[in-house]
Amino acid sequence: MNVVSKHPFVDALVAGGRALPASTASWLNLRRSLALERANALSVPTTRDEEWRFTDLATLNKLRVEPVGQAAALVDVAPYAVSEAATRLAFVDGVYAPALSSRSPLPAGVTVGTLAENLNIQSALMGVHLAAHADFNEQVFTALNTAWLRDGVFIHIAQNTALSEPLHLLFIATLKDAASCPRCLIVAEAGAECTVIEDYVAATTEAYFTNAVTEIAIKPNARVRHVRLQRESMQAVHIASCAVSLAKDASYVSQSIAFGARLSRYNLDVIHKGEGAEAVIDGLALISGQQLADTHTTMDHAQPNGRCTQLHKTIVGGAAHAVFNGKVLVRKDAQLTNSAQQSRNLLLSSTARVDTKPQLEIFADDVKCAHGATVGQLDAEQLFYLKSRGLPDTQARNLLTYAFGAEIVDRIPVKSLVAQLEKTVMAQTQASV
Amino acid sequence: MSTAAIEQLVNQPYKHGFVTDIESDTAAKGLSEDTIRFISAKKNEPDWLLEFRLKAYRHWLTMTPPAWPNVNYPEIDFQNISYYSAPKSKKKLASMDEVDPELLKTFEKLGVPMNERAALAGVAVDVIFDSVSVATTYKQKLADVGIIFGSISEAVRDHPDLVRKYMGSVVPVGDNFYAALNSAVFTDGSFCYIPKGVKCPMELSTYFRINTQDSGQFERTLIVAEDGASVSYLEGCTAPKFDTNQLHAAVVELVAMDNADIKYSTVQNWYAGDEKGVGGIYNFVTKRGLCKGVNSRISWTQVETGSAITWKYPSCVLRGDNSVGEFYSVALTNHYQQADTGTKMIHIGKNTRSTIISKGISAGHSNNSYRGLVRIAPTAAGARNYSQCDSMLIGAKCGANTFPYIDVRNPSGKVEHEATTSKIGEDQLFYFQQRGIGAEEAVSMIINGFCKEVFQQLPMEFAVEATKLLGLKLEGSVG
Repeated sequence: MNVVSKHPFVDALVAGGRALPASTASWLNLRRSLALERANALSVPTTRDEEWRFTDLATLNKLRVEPVGQAAALVDVAPYAVSEAATRLAFVDGVYAPALSSRSPLPAGVTVGTLAENLNIQSALMGVHLAAHADFNEQVFTALNTAWLRDGVFIHIAQNTALSEPLHLLFIATLKDAASCPRCLIVAEAGAECTVIEDYVAATTEAYFTNAVTEIAIKPNARVRHVRLQRESMQAVHIASCAVSLAKDASYVSQSIAFGARLSRYNLDVIHKGEGAEAVIDGLALISGQQLADTHTTMDHAQPNGRCTQLHKTIVGGAAHAVFNGKVLVRKDAQLTNSAQQSRNLLLSSTARVDTKPQLEIFADDVKCAHGATVGQLDAEQLFYLKSRGLPDTQARNLLTYAFGAEIVDRIPVKSLVAQLEKTVMAQTQASV
Repeated sequence: MSTAAIEQLVNQPYKHGFVTDIESDTAAKGLSEDTIRFISAKKNEPDWLLEFRLKAYRHWLTMTPPAWPNVNYPEIDFQNISYYSAPKSKKKLASMDEVDPELLKTFEKLGVPMNERAALAGVAVDVIFDSVSVATTYKQKLADVGIIFGSISEAVRDHPDLVRKYMGSVVPVGDNFYAALNSAVFTDGSFCYIPKGVKCPMELSTYFRINTQDSGQFERTLIVAEDGASVSYLEGCTAPKFDTNQLHAAVVELVAMDNADIKYSTVQNWYAGDEKGVGGIYNFVTKRGLCKGVNSRISWTQVETGSAITWKYPSCVLRGDNSVGEFYSVALTNHYQQADTGTKMIHIGKNTRSTIISKGISAGHSNNSYRGLVRIAPTAAGARNYSQCDSMLIGAKCGANTFPYIDVRNPSGKVEHEATTSKIGEDQLFYFQQRGIGAEEAVSMIINGFCKEVFQQLPMEFAVEATKLLGLKLEGSVG
């Protein structure tokens, strides 16, 4: 303990975590102190660690970040508004901002609010799930987030309740050198259904650090659709992990889109804890300049009859670097698993770089598992076809690049968001040529 | 047919377990600079080679064994290994008649009647028994076209300049832990030099065996093909049955100049330990080929059925423009065998191409991993790679893993990777049986079909042996 750290962000967050006032829930205090201990004990990964081989955290180590105590100035949230979502919870630099949130009435059995305001009401339920799915024993960033666990999003959908409107969780960064630790807990009880948009945006162009953790527990026959948008500033460092636990016949469908951040890392860990669960995990990273976008996913088939399909795409321009590591684990008892994974990567410039590793670890014999990876540039024949129809070269390229990315965007179940993101893809595509 | 029956088919005892009783001239156990000086002196080596060994040894001391492979084994005590072992009868032999009859018997038991095989198939066999080359055939015929083919020891004596120029040029002394160890203590191996424009008139073949109990074997192979030359090289391995683990850390280096073509085929069937996982060979090998010249081509084909642990990544560095790298592999693991094998294709030159076809079959409690790297360097415009890794699992206690690393830094590069996992379906077996084909034969046919793409790459003589070796592992099921 109390080892002198060479990483200012760790020191800042650990100090901040220590200074937090004790919570009324003793289990939370205990978990926070355990996490604090782990955050202190664990070393910050370097490129010598297999899991961080291509992602150098030097950018983060250079930042002099501090956690923010009070919600800052008012921000115009109109540009980020999602018209279908009447309920919006907004956080500014990690602090809940009621003035920017919109809390419309929700059907019976649906709780959408902050962790703090629900802690006393739902303490038992939170005790079961909070900091129980996302492992803070080995992951220093999850440990830091957990040590700093003060507030966040709490969503609970009661048994057999289907919520049709999407829920918008908006995390806005406004301050230079701010460190924030957003936290979300989503629990869908048996037969419940919901759609959640987890959205990270920036009202600044400066550097800051977001360290987010989301936990999703999906009970038997429940369905959760999860849209994740990372639109941080081009100087930001965004490190996030999401742990999803699926019970029998549960379903998790997610699209995670990364446009922003100088350096971003997203760990998605999905585990099938019950038979016959289904997961769809799609991703798109559209980056250029000096950006680095790293996505690590683990699909853990721990029970039989599970299904998973995954399509991860990257479009890489400038001197940007995209990393994908997709691990599919089929455990001994997970017979009749059907898992398919695709990694598709498009390189737009001679200095762009892609590292992809679709990884299979199989310990059951009666399974169907496939993965594929491709890296390349735009297809010359497709370009020729468009040009032969009279399209100028640039336009033909943009169109093909756009179509490549739109395949993922179009899968998002929220129409206005699809329209909004398609515009972003189009704009970024044109900018990166 | 039930899964249990399939398992029974693949659980057949090892047939090549026997020890030939020949006296060996073995160095005391342990590794130090003195051991290296002893080996070097024993072999009457020039100073530069001793320096090469010592440099490697000093580098090795600073290194730690790799921990990243997906294999488990107790820590190796490198001081508990004898680093030099040579059969006592070291007199140079002019003909097969002079070879120790015990030795010849061993080969007969293995089903490799060397003289007959050489005569019938036109194969020159450079037999390596333990660490010293004791018989070489067809040497004259090869010498007539200018090909140098023999042991590394001879080459060091007769062609020091060539050996000095190329040894360590593809796998540097400090490349990895086991390559450094090999560079320090290698005892013998094969050397092959194909001069400019020469197409080697026959398949070159070497048999490696490990014989003396507890003696690690450190082979060193170097093949150089000059401009426009071509050669096909075969390496086959079987080993006697022992209960203590034996370490084998070989280094193979290939150099292909402009328009040269090297084809390297391996069939490996070393003792894999018994059905409880006791004993067996540790096979930690560094194999790498350098396509140095334009339009050169290096092709690796391997059939890996033996060893308790296999840690092996035959690689190609494609430096010359338009050069081609190929890797075809079948890896079969059974009982408690562990294999972590694959390839690296490093594309540096323009329009370089590579193909990877890997087939893994796991049975019993074994663990079979494919680990590969495809790197397209910024300079490798127009590079192209296609990889396919298929796994088959027999039984529910084994594991099959795939770790393909793809690293692309040039937009004109095109890389494709595909992998699938499957099992022998009961419906497939039913179909065969319903057509009157027995279950054993059906399993054999399905597995041979699964591996067909790789077996097709083997030279004819070797393809027969490969099927035979696979048959030993899946005894009774290969028709």
